[in-house]
Amino acid sequence: MTALKMIGIGLAAVLLGSTAVSAKTLVFCAEGSPENFTPALNTTGTSLDAARPVFDQLVEFERGSTTLKPGLAESWIISPDGKTVTFKLRQNVKFGATREFKPTRDFNADDVLFSFHRQSDEQNPYFKVSGGKYDYYNDMDMPKLLTSIAKTDDHTIVMTLSEPNVAILANLAMDFATIQSAEYADYLLKKGKPEQFDQVPVGTGPFVFASYQKDAVIRFKANPAYWGGKPAIDDLVYAITPDPTARVSKLKTGECQVAPFPRPADIPELQNDPNLNVLSQPGLNIGYLAFNAAKPPFDKKEVRQALSMAIDRKAIITQVYGQSGQMAKNLIPPTMWAFNDKVTDYPFDPAKAQALLKDAGVSGPLDIDLWYMPVQRPYNPDAKRMAEMMQSDLAKVGVNAKLVTYEWGEYRKRLQNGEATAALFGWTGDNGDPDNFFFFLGCIDGKPAASNVGKWCDPTFNANLAKARQANDQAERTRLYGEMQVIEHDQEPVLNIAHSLVYEPVRKEVVDFKMSPLSRQQFDGVDLK
Amino acid sequence: MAAELSARADGPAARLPAAPAPPSAFRNFWSSFGEGKGAVLGLAIVAFVALLAIFAPLVAPHSPIEQFRDAVKAPPVWQDGGSWRYVLGTDGVGRDMLSRLIYGARVSLFIGLSVMCVSFVVGVVLGLASAYFGGVVDVLITRLMDRIMSVPDLVLAILAVAVLGPSLVNTIVAVTIVYVPRYVRLVRGSALAELDKDYVMAAKVAGVGPLRLMLSTILPNCLAPLIVQAALGLSDAILEAAALGFLGLGAQPPTPEWGAMLADSREFIRSQPWIVTFPGLAILITVVSINLLGDGLRDAFDPKMRRG
Repeated sequence: MTALKMIGIGLAAVLLGSTAVSAKTLVFCAEGSPENFTPALNTTGTSLDAARPVFDQLVEFERGSTTLKPGLAESWIISPDGKTVTFKLRQNVKFGATREFKPTRDFNADDVLFSFHRQSDEQNPYFKVSGGKYDYYNDMDMPKLLTSIAKTDDHTIVMTLSEPNVAILANLAMDFATIQSAEYADYLLKKGKPEQFDQVPVGTGPFVFASYQKDAVIRFKANPAYWGGKPAIDDLVYAITPDPTARVSKLKTGECQVAPFPRPADIPELQNDPNLNVLSQPGLNIGYLAFNAAKPPFDKKEVRQALSMAIDRKAIITQVYGQSGQMAKNLIPPTMWAFNDKVTDYPFDPAKAQALLKDAGVSGPLDIDLWYMPVQRPYNPDAKRMAEMMQSDLAKVGVNAKLVTYEWGEYRKRLQNGEATAALFGWTGDNGDPDNFFFFLGCIDGKPAASNVGKWCDPTFNANLAKARQANDQAERTRLYGEMQVIEHDQEPVLNIAHSLVYEPVRKEVVDFKMSPLSRQQFDGVDLK
Repeated sequence: MAAELSARADGPAARLPAAPAPPSAFRNFWSSFGEGKGAVLGLAIVAFVALLAIFAPLVAPHSPIEQFRDAVKAPPVWQDGGSWRYVLGTDGVGRDMLSRLIYGARVSLFIGLSVMCVSFVVGVVLGLASAYFGGVVDVLITRLMDRIMSVPDLVLAILAVAVLGPSLVNTIVAVTIVYVPRYVRLVRGSALAELDKDYVMAAKVAGVGPLRLMLSTILPNCLAPLIVQAALGLSDAILEAAALGFLGLGAQPPTPEWGAMLADSREFIRSQPWIVTFPGLAILITVVSINLLGDGLRDAFDPKMRRG
């Protein structure tokens, strides 16, 4: 009898114990497959989100905000002239192990050096691996800005800048400045398969990479040795679900707990679902139509202005964004401190547009290619529908737009090569500084940056862009950015369409998931009920 | 298709004196065709759709590409909030659904008929050449056709469009490439069977030239299966074109194409289901009726299935 009781108690204990330790799995329905897992090589949110659980940066953003906090650097000192930044690195930070590679040492200054040298030093054996294009690094003007990076001891890094830059810390918190393992890099180089470095990531982050099947699933496990404490969830799964309707269904049935980018048409239904919380936040983003200023007749600003007036943006916002769009008159959202409210928006005026086109010497029907992206973005929920509405508006002023699209990777490549005449595109800010918006219309040494898809260069605009980076006084920066917004409005290299409110439905059992104004998906600190 | 056919079949009958003796070819055909109620129904619907397509500008209440921004996603007339102005409602950017479906019939039938005609002609030429000349010509043609058939239909069509670039004309080219081998094989097979027959030998002995022998002696005797294949191929071609349109590789916006309309309205399947239902129904009804018609033709032309 007592023996039986004992067994019963034992069994109960085992059962209880097993529920207490049963793994918490959070499934995130990601919108696409990453290109690889090295953030420095990528520019799309999809790829950056996929690598984020594994990695840390020297400086990091507070979850759900643009405030900076110490990451792998415990503290930093900026010299009085603003040209030297000294980072004190965190100690006893472990790298996660993979099936093949077991790290033998803790994180140190060599890892930081490797991560930056890979992007800057052509002699680095990894410089050319996996295509070797470091768009973020180059577009942020880092090659010119970062004169040198050196270690004084294993836990101190000194960066020397060519000029003071107020945004440097915010830049270093971005994904391209992710710190990867130098030891792992050497290990793979010795084995002769350096490409694997970008496919099987090893980092210091809250999660450890477990496996990846393209177009299907990415699996991560919690990193028990994480310096910020082990995450509350044990398994993190990215279930790759490109179709928004399928994402909604999976969310409703509980197959996933978090799903980004719902279609505006589905939002009312999601808000009525008792099992879901629909989070929303004004996104730091801009959806725009870029005109290629290198291709006639778009080299004339009157033509660009005319097309801007011919498009009924109000109707587009109602139909494409639903409740989630706000008409944009400037490049930066009105929530930013540098926003210039004095700029008057172009009205919707087809008659005036026609007159302008005539004055600019465009007679007869004008044939253009109108490019639209094949995927949903935070700043544009449905580019195809938008393009169709523009096509109909433009036809009324005698502009025949042919709709063109390519696979998303191809689309960006061709766009950056300047092959489009007019193209829908957009931007999501990644560090909260206005510089991070204005730079994508900038030119480096008189040549348009890759991200400047309109291929538009204006000397005053670029001079102001450079000055604003060095000015420490916010009033001065506001003045400079204000001027740039006036220039941009007058020259109209892009037609600003909308800033969107970003929605993200999560299931009720998800605790403390925070949406990021930078559209980052982040799962450390998230728990499940 | 059926109209052409009956006219052709009617010709000799009209020339005959009003003799009670053998029933005319057309009557014969009609009596066995009419036996299947499905075939007649199919014929009626196909004729209706064809008429709609031909007279689209007269029938359609609105322009298919005009966007009524004040009535986006209007529901159809029988639903709450529907109006007779947009009988079947409007789509995601405010274009009248009924008008788009009617003009879409034009596009779909145009694609279907073009593919059918081109692949019919190309198939007959290649098939006859292959059967008649034999040897190297035969090997080259049949191997090429085998090669084409070894690739799945849709994959091959996507490949062709990817190379040529998406447009209405290129869709036709792509689908034609996919369907030519069927005709070639059919013609070659029946022609080979006919070539050994005595009447062909007689014609040869009488000194008939090769071109005449192929086209007016052998070809008419291979026509029956070809006509059936053409009728069924029409619906296949429409489906294939709709699939390409659905994938964004067919007719480009704002052309009203059923497959593309379906793809564009997928997101409304939960909130405004009618937008996605009608294009799907249009494809379904048209394809099913063409298939019924094709089955009827097969029954009528196949002597084994004909009664009395």
